[in-house]
Amino acid sequence: MEKANKRSTGVRIKDWCRAWARQWQLQTMVLPGIIAMIIFNFIPIYGLSLAFRSYTVTSTMASAPWVGLENFKIIINDKYFWESVQNTIGISAIKLTIEFFLPIIIAIMIFELKWTPFKKVVQTITYLPHFLSWIILGGMLITWLSSNGMLNQLLNLIGIATKDNHILNANSYWGIASLSDVWKEAGWGTILYLATMSKIDPTYYEAAEMDGASKLRQIWSITIPEMSSIISLNLILSVSGLFNSNLDQTLVLMNSQNQPKAEVINSYVYRVGLTQGDFSYATAVGLGVSIISVVLLIITNTVTKKLNDNKSVL
Amino acid sequence: MKQHKSLKIFTTALVALSSAVILTACGNGGSSDKSSSDNSNLPKASYKISKSTPAWKSDKSKMTTLTWYVNADWWNKDFGKDEITKQIKKDLNVNIKFVTGDDTKLNTYFASGNMPDLVTIGDPNSKVARTAKDWAYPLQDLANKYDPYFYKVASKDTLNWYKIDGKSYGYPNYSNTAADYKSGKILPRDAFIIRKDVLDAIGDQDFTTPEGFVKGMAAIKEKFPKLTPFGFNDFSGGNSSLENVVQDMLGVPITTKDNKYYDRDLDSDYIKWLDAFRQVHAAGNITDDSFTDDADTFNEKVSSGKYATMMMGSDVNHGTNLQDFASKNPKSAYIAINGIQSTKGRKPTLSQAGISGWLINYVSNKTKHPAKAIQVFEYLLSDKGQMLTNFGQKGQMYTQDADGMVKWTKFAKNIQDNDTTAWQKKYRIGEFILFGHDRYKALNKDSYVKAVWQMQEWGAKYLKPQFQIENISPNAGTQEARALGAIQTNWRTTMVSLIRAKDKATFEATLKKYKQFQKDNSISAINKVRDSNIKANMKKLGMD
Repeated sequence: MEKANKRSTGVRIKDWCRAWARQWQLQTMVLPGIIAMIIFNFIPIYGLSLAFRSYTVTSTMASAPWVGLENFKIIINDKYFWESVQNTIGISAIKLTIEFFLPIIIAIMIFELKWTPFKKVVQTITYLPHFLSWIILGGMLITWLSSNGMLNQLLNLIGIATKDNHILNANSYWGIASLSDVWKEAGWGTILYLATMSKIDPTYYEAAEMDGASKLRQIWSITIPEMSSIISLNLILSVSGLFNSNLDQTLVLMNSQNQPKAEVINSYVYRVGLTQGDFSYATAVGLGVSIISVVLLIITNTVTKKLNDNKSVL
Repeated sequence: MKQHKSLKIFTTALVALSSAVILTACGNGGSSDKSSSDNSNLPKASYKISKSTPAWKSDKSKMTTLTWYVNADWWNKDFGKDEITKQIKKDLNVNIKFVTGDDTKLNTYFASGNMPDLVTIGDPNSKVARTAKDWAYPLQDLANKYDPYFYKVASKDTLNWYKIDGKSYGYPNYSNTAADYKSGKILPRDAFIIRKDVLDAIGDQDFTTPEGFVKGMAAIKEKFPKLTPFGFNDFSGGNSSLENVVQDMLGVPITTKDNKYYDRDLDSDYIKWLDAFRQVHAAGNITDDSFTDDADTFNEKVSSGKYATMMMGSDVNHGTNLQDFASKNPKSAYIAINGIQSTKGRKPTLSQAGISGWLINYVSNKTKHPAKAIQVFEYLLSDKGQMLTNFGQKGQMYTQDADGMVKWTKFAKNIQDNDTTAWQKKYRIGEFILFGHDRYKALNKDSYVKAVWQMQEWGAKYLKPQFQIENISPNAGTQEARALGAIQTNWRTTMVSLIRAKDKATFEATLKKYKQFQKDNSISAINKVRDSNIKANMKKLGMD
């Protein structure tokens, strides 16, 4: 098909049809997927028109009046929206950095462990927090960080006398939010890497050892290059998720005092859209955020492509 | 290469679109709503209607099933299993299928156009309530056509209050009218309370003035270092009891003299008290945990008596916890005393449920059984329905004196004391509250736990309606509503920051910043909307 580009359009279409007919059995198999995508992904795009309308709970999608870019104009002057953007990027950036590198390091460490029972125990312990919901974990955190909570008792034990309620301190919220998320998810993040590592041909390591490569050298020159495609995939996925803040976590941990640092785009959209019933505005915010996310996705894809000998994941 | 590129553009667009979709609400399958003002489509009643007999007595149609959506997840969906709903089912020949959910589910109903027969929502200020005209039947039309007896059991003031363009669409529970406030059957629910043992031990302390309050808390701390001297409701459901409740205690006016909106948050008396709370906090006598505790943690602290004193908002809702503590420690039980009072000599003006009530019930204009629906309303509002839902079967569960007062039978008392599960599940006493009213609850002293009796007595003379300022916020989705949302978010932070301020200077600076924020967010335009809503309210109430 690649060679067809120099010929006329008519010939090209003909070629395309011929190629399609040749593999029609395979092509039909794709059909159900395409239909499902049209129904579940493309038709609902119509709902995006909400962003340009003044929609209320009780009016129907078609009957809501058009307001053009009115909703977007309001976004520009909305202090709380921009605050939430700042927080989202701030918290996500910290999470991203730590949560991108830490699982790789943990995975390599687990991979290098030779005694299987210990390996299993370590894996289970690091996976465990992933299975707790934020509702439970958040409640635990609030208690731990309260004035008589575990953290203060620990600090008192080592001689730092404090009775602060840390969750009320807006300035420490980014740290609390990102570190608790890292604690919850870092272990789980190793699974993909461990699976990839188990597929690396052991003879590479044997050869390296014979050549006198140290353990670190082996990791650097064998393990990491072998994992490069999965690492870049993970990077792309997580960068495009920069604007996808954690709604559950925010709703549980946010209070009147840390709100200026805790409100993220998702919780803001939730508050405005669902609790204040301002759907059009919330959709406009959501649409804006999606567009930025897509731009980020494309940028990272291009960058990783350059880094990866022009092989892009997407 | 060109084709490769277009394929890529297509893929990119695909990803863009599909990720955008995730953030979008789902579409509408139904056709657009027909205005309900034309009700000629209401079918004729299949029975003879009468002004003096409830329609359910004459309606001999077969068993009807109604779907009743309640916009509250906690609502008990059982019907026909317990003694109370069994009786309703028998009397009305109706089967009710309850559905519960939150706003998201409600919105889906509207978006799909597939409405349940009956709808109960909780917010009279919501768009749903304000546009009831488009999706609900006017109760007057239903009553005229199917059950004129409804007018005998419904409160005229309440119906008036819920009128949109001359007709009422919703009917709330716990809607107190001016007459109810005067009757003495509505009991107050807020009070400044203190543990009796603490009160005895600290000697003569004056909690009514800001200075005395600060001193009194210090005295408590000295004698009871293990207790937190001052507590208040949790912040999970709003601004705790430190906002409206304290303002009511101080008798802060609800409107200006010429009936304009009055910003109670900035009342000088109230600010003075916030500063007193700041000093209490600075002395370590308010714990920061009070600002982060959720409802469960607060309840636990109340039932274990962790607070020496409390600004208790809605003692009835915390009755079980207060009773828990009182039963275990009869000598330390909480009692209401004079505290947190105006520095300007104003008397407290305690509020209770207003005329808007709590949960509002509607009959959807998509229902196929409008006659049955209004019968359900009428039955539950009538004496018969009220006595049944509050007290169960007469004779079996309760007896009634000549003066109307209700007493539990031995049988009932035994279940209440020894088998709370059966009390709630099998007998469902006082739990079927979609049309409940405190007027009936007051017929039985045992409706309220003993621990709150003294508190109710303390505040009885201070009750005062605040009907004029109910539901005066601007409509959702308007520029004013958005600005108000921002101001309220800011106030929430400001109020707690004021109490947690390090010193008086920080306090003043924080307050000044809030006032500026109000100005920057067009408070005057918001207040204009409020003013006109107050005016409309007063017209409805006949106060103009």
